[in-house]
Amino acid sequence: MGDVIEQFRPLFEPRTVAVVGASTKGGTLPNVFIRRIREFGYGGAIYPIHPSAESIDGLKAYRSLGDTPEPVDYAYIAIAAAQVPPLLEQARGRVRFAQVISSGFGEVDEGRQLQEALAAAARAGGMRLIGPNCLGIYTPRGRITFTETAPAESGPVGIISQSGGLGTDIIRRGLTRGLKFSGLVTVGNCADISANDLLEFYLADPQTRVVGLYIETAGDGRRLFEILRGARAGKPVVILKGGRTRQGRAAAVSHTGSLAGDDRAWVALSKQTGSVMADTLDGFIDALAAFQALAPQPRRPTRRVVLFGNGGGASVLATDQFARLGLDVEAFDRQTVEELARLKLPPGTSITNPVDAPVGTLQQEDGRVAESILGAIYGSGRPDALVMHLNLSAFAGRTRAEVLDNLVQAALRVQGRYPGQAHFVLVLRSDGEPALEERKRAFRTRAVALGIPVYDEIANAGAALAALAFHERFVQSRSR
Amino acid sequence: MKAAADLIAEARASKRVALDEPAGKRLLASFGISVPKSVIVQDADAAAAACGDLKPPLVLKVVSPDILHKSEAGGVSVGLERAAAVGEAVRAMVKRPAIENARIDGFLLEEMAPPGVEVVVGGLRDPQFGPLVMVGLGGVLVEVLADVAFRICPITRLDAEEMLEELKGAALLRGARGRAPVSREAVIDVLLKVGGENGLLMTHGEDIAEADINPLIVSERGAVAVDARFVLRK
Repeated sequence: MGDVIEQFRPLFEPRTVAVVGASTKGGTLPNVFIRRIREFGYGGAIYPIHPSAESIDGLKAYRSLGDTPEPVDYAYIAIAAAQVPPLLEQARGRVRFAQVISSGFGEVDEGRQLQEALAAAARAGGMRLIGPNCLGIYTPRGRITFTETAPAESGPVGIISQSGGLGTDIIRRGLTRGLKFSGLVTVGNCADISANDLLEFYLADPQTRVVGLYIETAGDGRRLFEILRGARAGKPVVILKGGRTRQGRAAAVSHTGSLAGDDRAWVALSKQTGSVMADTLDGFIDALAAFQALAPQPRRPTRRVVLFGNGGGASVLATDQFARLGLDVEAFDRQTVEELARLKLPPGTSITNPVDAPVGTLQQEDGRVAESILGAIYGSGRPDALVMHLNLSAFAGRTRAEVLDNLVQAALRVQGRYPGQAHFVLVLRSDGEPALEERKRAFRTRAVALGIPVYDEIANAGAALAALAFHERFVQSRSR
Repeated sequence: MKAAADLIAEARASKRVALDEPAGKRLLASFGISVPKSVIVQDADAAAAACGDLKPPLVLKVVSPDILHKSEAGGVSVGLERAAAVGEAVRAMVKRPAIENARIDGFLLEEMAPPGVEVVVGGLRDPQFGPLVMVGLGGVLVEVLADVAFRICPITRLDAEEMLEELKGAALLRGARGRAPVSREAVIDVLLKVGGENGLLMTHGEDIAEADINPLIVSERGAVAVDARFVLRK
């Protein structure tokens, strides 16, 4: 396993970067890339490659990939497709990883041959190739980023994206959701390095605790299956699969053939490897946020969920949805009900699960009331997960600003008294009104900074908890 | 018994796109899957004469590369108790319009499996993932109900157990509505012999595009592959 880490170190922590395609006049994507990595704190050597210029963006330029003072760990290449193969051939074994941003290769019919030439040129030049037709790499440990805004802090989430644009979305949306990444590689057409190769890296990488994979074509699906099966869900893997293939189905003549929908193999893969399949980008990010923040409990897979917050109808609807996801929002037993009754909460507060507590209740003791409520629930109710849902619309104009913070802090104190008992997630509901959205955004930022996964709706939290539960059950079933 | 590879090579040599039923059953038998005791005969007299070696009731099936759906063509006769009935069944079968002009390789005369729940076990070559194995509730309604579970080969015993649990009709195997439960163990055993580590699909998946054991009749005591079809890869 150490080998794959060493093999990819120059990609994730490059000491030298070559940039091909930057102009003396500035303004090209490679010029922007140079600016971005400098702003992101990249401290290694940057070598612009240019056929004639003496310097670019204040950096001394070189004629070819083979002419740089030091060998190149990572080359970022965005020039016309036809010019790329000759460029790579000149590397003379002095480039470790080349990422080809340019398009016009295998993604279009007329580019197929050029892609073969590109792969051959990479072999001849002695390097590994990422792309073509991608956007770049984001690796906070190496201070490299292809996006304008990205979290500076590294974290546990490793991403492989076959789409560049979606890779950008994952970073930017992840930023507001508190995701922290060990890396994100856009792999494009995978002419050489495949999503499978990077999956092996992330599974071995000590910084990565959860892997997210956006794939359109599995390429070597067999190898994907074998890697995931061999990993035995040691790290959670979330897969967002686009463009499910119809290849080879039309001609089916047997019963089995006609029953094999396009999705069957992916469903099977998920069940045999414990990988979570997400259906949407939001579902993908929601699940990653849960896995980042919550330590899976395979010995006690998540099933019993307590819903606590304001919004009776919303929690009834959520109870139905959770049941469909295999999560139970069970009524409390007598002991818990009695303990809650002893608190003499205001009328309108339900003292069974789901715990519907109107704002009038939640604002008692400026929100610190949550500590005694949750204390009673945790003490005898033994939930596997607590979903605290706050509808900010109902708080507007009625409570002091610190009530929300106090509610969350109260929950965290109870969490601290019962370590490892329940996953804690927060749902912040709003109605789109600008001032309220701003309040929600600010509050979400504070909650996320505390390591709490935060969701927009109870349904999203339910789907993320179901993903966590699926992973926990798989690990439990395979460890007997 | 012929080695499995020979059965496939033989079918390819005679330009067949699929194994015929006797070859398919020999392939299953070579992997330890129960198939009915049977003989292949060429005409009515031979069929009648062969009855002595088999325990009635018997079933007679036409073997022809031209006939894809034997039942629809009138190429299956069931519940034959005596030699005279078997001879008669062959004579009637060859006169059926769909059979009259077809190439006939012979007739498969076999013992009927004990009654039980009809299950389908299948295989499929996925272009990206290689061999997949399927289990479902079988019989004539299999495609209507579509109550099936797929896995990528090779499967483990736990995978096989989970496949059965995944079926909406899993209760039928446990003995719904006062019926005795049938042998889940026997179905799991067949799934592993078809889709397991050294199973049929892992061994011959390069040659097999699609496979159907339908029905696999599962009783309290075991599972018998009553019909088998293997479509070869081009």
